[in-house]
Amino acid sequence: MPDLEVKGKKIELSQEGFLYNPQEWDDDVARALAKAEEGIEDMSEDHWTVINYIREYFLEKNLAPMVRKVCKNTGFPLKYIFELFPSGPAKGACKVAGLPKPDGCV
Amino acid sequence: MSEKIKNKRIKIEDITNLPLELESQKKASQEKIGSVSEGKLKLYNQQKKNVDRFRELLSEKITRQLASSMVACVHCGMCAESCHYSLTRPDDPKMTPVYKADQIRRIFKKHIDWTGRVFPKWVKARSPVDDQDLNHLKNIVFGTCSACRRCTFNCPMGVETALLIRFARGILTDLGIVPEGVFNVSRDQWETGNQMAVTEEDYLDTLDWMKEELQEELDIPDIDIPIDKEDCDFMYTINPREIKFDPRSISHAAKIFHFAGEKWTMPKWGWDQTNFGLFSGDDRLGAYVAKNVYEAAVRLRAKRIVISECGHGYRSTRWEGYNWAEYDQNIPTESVILTLMRYIQKGMIKVDPAKNPEPVTFHDSCNLARSGDLLEAPRWVLDKVCTDYREMFPNRRENFCCTGGGGLLSMAEYRPLRLEVAKVKAEQLEATGAKLVCTICHNCVDGLTDLIKHYKLDMKVVQILELVSNSMVIRMP
Repeated sequence: MPDLEVKGKKIELSQEGFLYNPQEWDDDVARALAKAEEGIEDMSEDHWTVINYIREYFLEKNLAPMVRKVCKNTGFPLKYIFELFPSGPAKGACKVAGLPKPDGCV
Repeated sequence: MSEKIKNKRIKIEDITNLPLELESQKKASQEKIGSVSEGKLKLYNQQKKNVDRFRELLSEKITRQLASSMVACVHCGMCAESCHYSLTRPDDPKMTPVYKADQIRRIFKKHIDWTGRVFPKWVKARSPVDDQDLNHLKNIVFGTCSACRRCTFNCPMGVETALLIRFARGILTDLGIVPEGVFNVSRDQWETGNQMAVTEEDYLDTLDWMKEELQEELDIPDIDIPIDKEDCDFMYTINPREIKFDPRSISHAAKIFHFAGEKWTMPKWGWDQTNFGLFSGDDRLGAYVAKNVYEAAVRLRAKRIVISECGHGYRSTRWEGYNWAEYDQNIPTESVILTLMRYIQKGMIKVDPAKNPEPVTFHDSCNLARSGDLLEAPRWVLDKVCTDYREMFPNRRENFCCTGGGGLLSMAEYRPLRLEVAKVKAEQLEATGAKLVCTICHNCVDGLTDLIKHYKLDMKVVQILELVSNSMVIRMP
């Protein structure tokens, strides 16, 4: 199992690099995930806007939001989401936001 | 490259001993969801005599083609040289297609074939004893084969190993002995009609959004993504991944259709062309999903169904679905690649290859090439829209799987093995020297992206709609 070490604490990741226990997520874990999985050295304010929205939506509905919802609520165009998270909304942004891997062909 | 990435060799027992995960099944049973109470979605029941039921289903479901694949194998070993699992792990006999098929074959020999009754030891006839054995079989048929059918094309006896794999998967699905990912996606497809549980509201909202963005981008106020329009030239169906996470492909398609002057529509219901019935082996799910598409086309009186870039969706809707659904389909179905080819051939759209100058190679999706016979059309189109096309070897029917086929992308537990055996594909990709690899399958996009990242290749995956859209020469009136 590939693990992540954040501030001396071992965080378990699934085979696809998603958090094994989504409740272990915090800002430091997000930063570490962004660096390890997406190659993002410094999370910008815009990164956080996307991440926080996805996180809130997930905690409320236990589901990854449609990319439409992400763009509508953050005000960012679709292209920009892919610039922020090169692996896209599912494997990039949702992963950094600490969600489990979405089901299906992704 | 092999020096660059040292894979940790997976112990195959770690794969075959993976337990049956039941979290989602428990939840489905507590929530009493419709597809479970109606008996469409099967849950695992420890109290039942699952082994007996397995044998019964084996006898009930066996067909002539399956039986011939059970008995025709002469153990020549040709398949070992065609499978990316055994090519990457040549010293591991458990990776050969024949070993995987033999795990099903031995049960057939024990209960149906005469050789197993006369000399069971000789032919290694053996029945599963308990649910543990069935779980072991589940890990082999779901976890160690991407059902790419490359071995079938290289088998001198015509043994259809992938058909045996799907057959065994189907029986196990009927007993609820399936990987959790397969269960979840099947549940969503039964419950919502699409594999990502997208609601109608979200579907329509996303299409509306794409339309507005296009209107703005091109400054054409009448460009449209028509919904449920009757009597169109064709009805366009998609992969739910497009609507949920990356609708850029829908936007490219809408743009191309607009400039080709096409009368087209997307259906409000029956828009999911993907079909987990193909992967889980559940013909009833296959029938349900495929029929949704066929009936939508009839309802809208569409002259044709066009399938977006999707390998298993194309195979399921164009080839397999009619039989699963026992549906007398007379509306023709085609992949969007043929639509694009027609537009360029007839001059309905103008393209300029200079707009795509980067070196591009093409990855044949198993379900489109080996199982769908779409070999030359994508190459013809690529030749028209790119300046530097490079063939990958081997190619066409002999191409290697993206390693995410057979539903493997939805089964995270088998990912380490999948990436280990992706070495064959990674070497194949790297040898082309191309910067872009084009594929016309959404599943392959993710499979390839995954292995490109793992093997640190300097490459990006693109799809043909993007390249065509990019190369278009638009003359504004």
